[in-house]
Amino acid sequence: MQDCCRFDKDRKQTGKLPLVFWGNTTTKKGGNMKKHKMMFFRILMSFVVVLSFATSIQAGEVYKLALSLAITGPTSDAGNPYAKGVEDYFRFVNDTKLLGEDKIECTIRDDQYNNDVTKRNFEDFLGQGIVLYLNYSTGSTMGLKRDFEEEKIPVIPASFHAGNLIDSNYIFLPIASYSEQIIGLAEYVAKNHKGDKAKVALFIHPSAFGRGPVEDLTKAVKAGLNIEVVEVVEHGQDLDNTAMLKRLKSKGVQYVLCQTVQSPVATMLKDANSIGYAAKSFGEADKITFMGAHYTGGNDLIALAGVAAENFFWTTSYRLTSEKSAGADAQLALAKKYGRDDKAANSHNYTNGIMVAQVATEVIKRVKENGQKVTRSSLYDELNQMNGAKAFEADTTVGPVTYSKTDHAGVDVLQLYRVDGSVFRSVGVPFSSEYIKKIK
Amino acid sequence: MTYFFQLVLSGIVVGSIYALSALGFVLIYKSSRVLNIAHGQLIATGAFITYALTVWLGIPIYISFFISLLITFFLTMSVERIFLRRLIGEPIISVIMVTIGLMSILDGLIYLTPFGSENFSFPLFLPKEPISMAGVSMSWTQLVGVIITFALIGAFSWFFKKSTIGISMRAVSDDQLASMSIGISVPRVFGLAWATAGLSAAAAGGIIGNTTGLNFDTLHAFGITVFPVVILGGLDSILGAVVAGIIMGLIQQFAGGYLDGNWGLNGTGVVLPYIILLIILLFKPHGLFGIHEIERV
Repeated sequence: MQDCCRFDKDRKQTGKLPLVFWGNTTTKKGGNMKKHKMMFFRILMSFVVVLSFATSIQAGEVYKLALSLAITGPTSDAGNPYAKGVEDYFRFVNDTKLLGEDKIECTIRDDQYNNDVTKRNFEDFLGQGIVLYLNYSTGSTMGLKRDFEEEKIPVIPASFHAGNLIDSNYIFLPIASYSEQIIGLAEYVAKNHKGDKAKVALFIHPSAFGRGPVEDLTKAVKAGLNIEVVEVVEHGQDLDNTAMLKRLKSKGVQYVLCQTVQSPVATMLKDANSIGYAAKSFGEADKITFMGAHYTGGNDLIALAGVAAENFFWTTSYRLTSEKSAGADAQLALAKKYGRDDKAANSHNYTNGIMVAQVATEVIKRVKENGQKVTRSSLYDELNQMNGAKAFEADTTVGPVTYSKTDHAGVDVLQLYRVDGSVFRSVGVPFSSEYIKKIK
Repeated sequence: MTYFFQLVLSGIVVGSIYALSALGFVLIYKSSRVLNIAHGQLIATGAFITYALTVWLGIPIYISFFISLLITFFLTMSVERIFLRRLIGEPIISVIMVTIGLMSILDGLIYLTPFGSENFSFPLFLPKEPISMAGVSMSWTQLVGVIITFALIGAFSWFFKKSTIGISMRAVSDDQLASMSIGISVPRVFGLAWATAGLSAAAAGGIIGNTTGLNFDTLHAFGITVFPVVILGGLDSILGAVVAGIIMGLIQQFAGGYLDGNWGLNGTGVVLPYIILLIILLFKPHGLFGIHEIERV
């Protein structure tokens, strides 16, 4: 109705000015021939206007979204398949008319993991009139938090840092935070460890991304989680972790929980294997069991560590293509449809990208179904109502996506996986962290 | 005591890889007084070429490693011929700026390949079980890496001391004009310096790639990681690179083994090499084995 009114207004304007102009021309010397030409031109123009109106009605609305991420540069091993996931799913939405005649136009730009470029991209996207923004890194999400608040734009980042949600209303994490993942792993250790209190070390990235879960795990331990955190190791660009592993072993560490990216974990696993410290099963006596959060695992870890990745335990909220599920089948079909290679098709970060695009599409669809106009505000409100009966069941995740005014972490359920025969296999059923609720 | 010896062994292993990585810097600086900022990219290139030959073309890794050395040798020689030769006689800073540009170009080219954003690892070609003796152990990959490193360092040392071309390169390093006056082709020497640096970078890349896996960020970061080694050893000394490499490796391992995790310390293995570097440079500004040039005016 609003569009219709806008057209009427436009038509009045376009009708008025040219009539005056053309009226003046007919009074000039030149006579009937020119008058006929003008008449023909007016008819032609009217036809064009009517045709363009009809086309615009048929084309529907275009909803502008944007994503800035590291397609090249540091962490592009995660960013590249993530971008492909987002791109393919939105292409699928448009090609299969999931939103009817409406389309999603998502601009994807490479920022090479450079926060300055991310900020520039974001400002440019705002100028394009985006209604929802997909961000990537922890650093840029933290850095742009205030901008998101000022612009009142809902944002779904690829960073699951719990700190993103502090003093923020507009950031929505796709899945459980890194803190929840690490505490979930620690809970698994506490429940399944045989013997006295389990001794745990944290192996983390030297950044906000890595440090995020440390404080929360300490709080969980204070709240009664039955493990002992012996040491927190911030890794560097280490060629050899023998000294660190020897030190941890001398302190009786039995489990190492990793919150970083795959490459340093792969080096550590290789070193642990070369000095015979890596456990061959969970909690093997006198050995160390290695476990990690979302960005430490996946096929990239196996690609880097090779056989040393065996028995690495990993948690995420995503389903993997190494196990049969409707989500995995749909993901592989999507990758095939858009000509992706096996590596991208089977990447958990491709799943990650698809999932955020699914959430964005779903929320747009719901706003449309409510008869509202798709705006930043309506999308934000709708995301906050994505819970209870309105929770979103994305096949790509092990649990439903739920958001509310007080909970901006999407999937609250985690699945534990273990490398077995160079493939990640599920261990048990999906679980959620108990202590994350206790420390909130 | 086993703990101590394990740290010593690991320190020597890491240090020798540092030494090999640092060698490329030294070779170029020794002949042309230029710091090649794109050295990390050359390390990565060497590793990727070895992988591509081994996995994609099915050539045994022993052969593909040597082919990659040759390819990188000629590749860097071409780079010198195309980009750097025309800068002979220009201020050193201009040449260094060109190496920064070269770094960006190589980055861009690698990002166009799967190696830019995907991870790989070399197929297992050595026994999986570690070599252990009296409670001290190391992997076969590390042992082979150390052997290759010392073989190459020995070969380069001989080359610079005994071969005619090596002596020519040292002469050019001392005085370009005087070298030209006795018939040494300075451009040819520069080309050779770059080529041998490329060769050593490829060797380092192959060894690091086998140790850590093939991740572009990790590999090219080594160009920066070994910088303290180069400075500490003295920019123009092969022996310096070896000694400094092993010193740095040992410092990192001992810091990691004895300091980190105690008294609230963390990450000392990363910081301590720089602190020691600063202290040594206070007393020996040209590094441990760097040539102290005295200019009389």
